[in-house]
Amino acid sequence: MMRLHIDYDLCSGNGRCYAMFPDLFTDDESGYGQTLNGGVVTDAELAHRATLCCPEKAISVEEI
Amino acid sequence: MSTFRLADVPMAKDRTEGFRYVSAAGEVVRSVDDGSWFLTSEEAVRFAQRHPEIFASHGATSGGGTIPIPLVPVGTDRPAHTKYRKILDPMFSPRVINAMEDDLRGQIRDLIAAFADKGECDVVADVARLFPAQVFLTFFGLPLADRDQLIDWVETILDNSIGVGTAEGKPPVAVATRELLTYITSYIEKKRQEPSDDVLGRILALQGDDAWTTEELLGFVFVFTVAGLDTVAAAIGFTMRHLATHPELRRQVIADPALIGPVVEEMLRLEPPAPGVTRITTQDVEVCGVRIPKGESVVLYMGTANRDPGRYTDPDTFDLAHSELGHMTFGGGIHRCLGSHLARRELRLVVEEFHKQIPEYEIAPGFEPEVKWPSGTIRLASLPLKFPTTAEKR
Repeated sequence: MMRLHIDYDLCSGNGRCYAMFPDLFTDDESGYGQTLNGGVVTDAELAHRATLCCPEKAISVEEI
Repeated sequence: MSTFRLADVPMAKDRTEGFRYVSAAGEVVRSVDDGSWFLTSEEAVRFAQRHPEIFASHGATSGGGTIPIPLVPVGTDRPAHTKYRKILDPMFSPRVINAMEDDLRGQIRDLIAAFADKGECDVVADVARLFPAQVFLTFFGLPLADRDQLIDWVETILDNSIGVGTAEGKPPVAVATRELLTYITSYIEKKRQEPSDDVLGRILALQGDDAWTTEELLGFVFVFTVAGLDTVAAAIGFTMRHLATHPELRRQVIADPALIGPVVEEMLRLEPPAPGVTRITTQDVEVCGVRIPKGESVVLYMGTANRDPGRYTDPDTFDLAHSELGHMTFGGGIHRCLGSHLARRELRLVVEEFHKQIPEYEIAPGFEPEVKWPSGTIRLASLPLKFPTTAEKR
């Protein structure tokens, strides 16, 4: 199991995460991303791809 | 540390040549034109984006020639910038755009229908210049009938401006700026009397510490028009040129509209309409081993950072796989383009609706698309297309 995390010191609301991975992220009312399901993802490869989409490199993943 | 001259950069015909020329000079290089420093690698640009306290925006870009306007929010720094974005981000979020999508889709459909039976069009003149202006007027609660006048002011300001992202320039800039601001002021007065549910009306409704002065509001509208029309127009032009010259990709996109997003992203990466943004250093700073003194003008050059070989395999090649890796075309850090969600939606709507009405087309034989250079915004001046009309298809 993996857990995705958004670093809000780096996130600037590009919105790529929820646009490209709508099963993992959603948007808030200002257009910033939020993880779904507490960030928990079973597919490690998918979780890794999701970290690459962020132009700010604000998304990280850890094994849980 | 090496230097280059903007006019020597071979950008007009091919951005790959142009951006290679700049990045070959180094990660931190100087333009001999005005002594600006250019940060060309992803690492250098990201460093500046993450340190807005060192790379300041206030005073980095001037607006309107001799007319002083507060450039809200792009020419402001913390803490004022944070206050502006807290108010503005929710006004340009995907949720707000979703609610407007049917209206915007109807508008682009009508623009395309106006030439769909003619067998030819100029994407730049007939679509790319018009649609972003209409979207602006729609969001700000202004009459669509003012579109052509608005475009005229904005193009006068941009065409007579000098350098990367500056609005300094010849006398027509000041005249057009004054007329544009007078126009906006008249609607601000109107909307003060009659509250409206649009961006202007919502900002005017702010109370107490959140309330804006008329100057702040005018500055914001000025920034939005000079940054949000021409750039989207440029991106529409580049995307349509690529689809015109790659019929196989075009047919894939028509068969599977989910590919439109990746196509748009990869085009934005390779052909950023505004490849550089300017900052002023607030202290001496070292970037990638090069010392830049305090008070210097620094250009964060996303055009080359978007092709950094450290991030992308075959960075100069159009490859939809790159679209999963993100790019810096909308900037980054606290100044990430406020209109990025709107720009992306406009691009998607144009591609969707154009191909519903005109699935097959080609660039007019003999036409060579070129961009003006040197220029702050990089865009095609014209993109004439030929296509079979409905009558011919029968």
